[in-house]
Amino acid sequence: MISILKIAWRNLRRYTRRTLLTSSLITIGVALVIIFSAIGNSFKSEVIGILTNSNLGDLQIHKHGYVGSIDNLPLDLTISEPNLHKVRSLLNNHPEVKAYSERIRFTAMVSNFSQTTNMRLTAIYPEKESQVCTDLVERIKEGETNPEIFVAPGSIVIPLNISKGMNVKLGDEIVLVATNSEGSVNGMTFKVAGISENILGPQGKDGYIHLEDARALLRIESAEITEIAIKLNHFDRLDQITLELKSQLEPISGEKTGKPFFEVHTWEELSPFASISKIVTLLIVVVRIVLVSIVLISILNVMMMSVYERIGEIGTIASIGTLPGKILALFLTEGLMLGILSALIGNVIGIGIILIINAVKINFQFGMMTLSLAPAIPVAETLFSVITVVLISALASLQPALKAARMEPVDALRHV
Amino acid sequence: MSLILLENVKKTYISGEINVPALRGIDLSINPGKFISFVGPSGSGKTTLLNLIGCLDKPSDGRVLVAGSDITRLNRQTAAKFRGDNIGFIFQNFNLIPVLTVYENVEYPLIMVQNVPADKRKKRILDLLEKVGMSDQKDKFPAQLSGGQKQRVAIARALVTEPKLVLADEPTANLDHHTAYKVIGLMHAMQAEFDTSFIFATHDPKIVGEAEIVLTMEDGLITKTQENPINREVN
Repeated sequence: MISILKIAWRNLRRYTRRTLLTSSLITIGVALVIIFSAIGNSFKSEVIGILTNSNLGDLQIHKHGYVGSIDNLPLDLTISEPNLHKVRSLLNNHPEVKAYSERIRFTAMVSNFSQTTNMRLTAIYPEKESQVCTDLVERIKEGETNPEIFVAPGSIVIPLNISKGMNVKLGDEIVLVATNSEGSVNGMTFKVAGISENILGPQGKDGYIHLEDARALLRIESAEITEIAIKLNHFDRLDQITLELKSQLEPISGEKTGKPFFEVHTWEELSPFASISKIVTLLIVVVRIVLVSIVLISILNVMMMSVYERIGEIGTIASIGTLPGKILALFLTEGLMLGILSALIGNVIGIGIILIINAVKINFQFGMMTLSLAPAIPVAETLFSVITVVLISALASLQPALKAARMEPVDALRHV
Repeated sequence: MSLILLENVKKTYISGEINVPALRGIDLSINPGKFISFVGPSGSGKTTLLNLIGCLDKPSDGRVLVAGSDITRLNRQTAAKFRGDNIGFIFQNFNLIPVLTVYENVEYPLIMVQNVPADKRKKRILDLLEKVGMSDQKDKFPAQLSGGQKQRVAIARALVTEPKLVLADEPTANLDHHTAYKVIGLMHAMQAEFDTSFIFATHDPKIVGEAEIVLTMEDGLITKTQENPINREVN
């Protein structure tokens, strides 16, 4: 085996320029896959972290049909008090549910006594909301940031775009006018207690009030709500927990319809960023395919050339008794060695660039969010690239190696 | 017992729709330890006959027995093994492996063909390199050697597996007069020392004059057999 490795290595060195060119191509390909994957995943997890920790939660429970009408924030599709008790009981006993927050979401007219505009509002209990949306208070750029009391009864946190558009400052009074599910209109005065930055998606520009204030404004007498946002202990188990909750909530049916009362959605189904995230994932797959193509074509090309240039040599080693299997192994080893060495160098370069990016700390603006690029070394991606290169190198070397092994020595010797 | 026995051996090459007969029915018996030369003009069938004896090709008709084995019955795998165990080759263009040193070229058949353990390999290789006068060049690569030196390495490589038979196709064709004589002398010495049969295909009169038996070929047939009394001092 050592001899096969030695001969393969020397044959690679024999055509130094060609080996270096092919190796560089594979190295660059592997490095690009690792870097692109690390940056893409970093971008995704950064944005997903902001979205889930700032307003969406990991998943949400609504009354069936609510999400289909979510643009209108309907108040007639609420979770009634008896059903809310059932959900509470389920969530309180679920080991994977870290926290949950009950919300009423609605639209209202907001006026500063000189201008009026529309605004989307999320009514919450701040202490519960802070446990689900752990980064919410960090988004509050001015005003109260205590997670327990950042929105007290009688106060409102408004988004930056409303603050700027209506020239409303901290401590100002504004009036909210809302229509409840029965068509009744009511108005209440609130004191601006905080101004929050905007983030991606329609929910990123919501204002916040206390849940009891919303009940008063909308004249809701029972404990009904429009949604429950949930934070899980392990985000990576999101899909599994969602399925579990769906199956556990499915037997609860509506009194009139007899159909399932609840619907459960992950953040992906609630945010437009999910599409961007899928595009990023798709792009990573495309880059992987490009890598596979680069490795396949370059190794196949170099090994075919190698076999055709060394027909005489193949004839010699075959005539002196080298078994076809060993000739096959010689050429396979050469192709594999080229692939593996290139993949390892590509990994080192890729990881080096990732470390440099982390050291430099690159910040950039995505929509209304400031993201900090902190790519982690993608262990799975580095393993994937090495395994892929090894497999594709073997595949690409196989045909030329078989050609060499199957050569008739008497024919091959005529090429000398 | 004959080392080589050929019975009515024919070989026809098919070129498109034309059949080109290379050997038309050869009967031949060669005893071990001989220094034999096939001579004849180009296209007379020398190399074809050598390829058949060397188990590199198969006859269209007839039987070829080498060291008691009917090589026409061997498949690719067993033919390769048979060659590795019984036959050494010396080529016109030396055919050394360019990425291996002199020592490694001689070592190659022992590792890759016969799987001889390392402790036994070294002594055998160094002895042979000493005998062919290449021990001081053992770390050089083929590109750093002259034609005569390369052929001496090729002789060492052919003999290192202790074959019963060495086949050489025009071994002096690419060598100058002086070097060719030295190489022939070396092969003669090796034949005498190892009792290995050497068979050449050549039209080099230098070799013809050194052979114990000269078989003249014309149009795919052996037309003349001549025995030379050899009484040569080895250099």
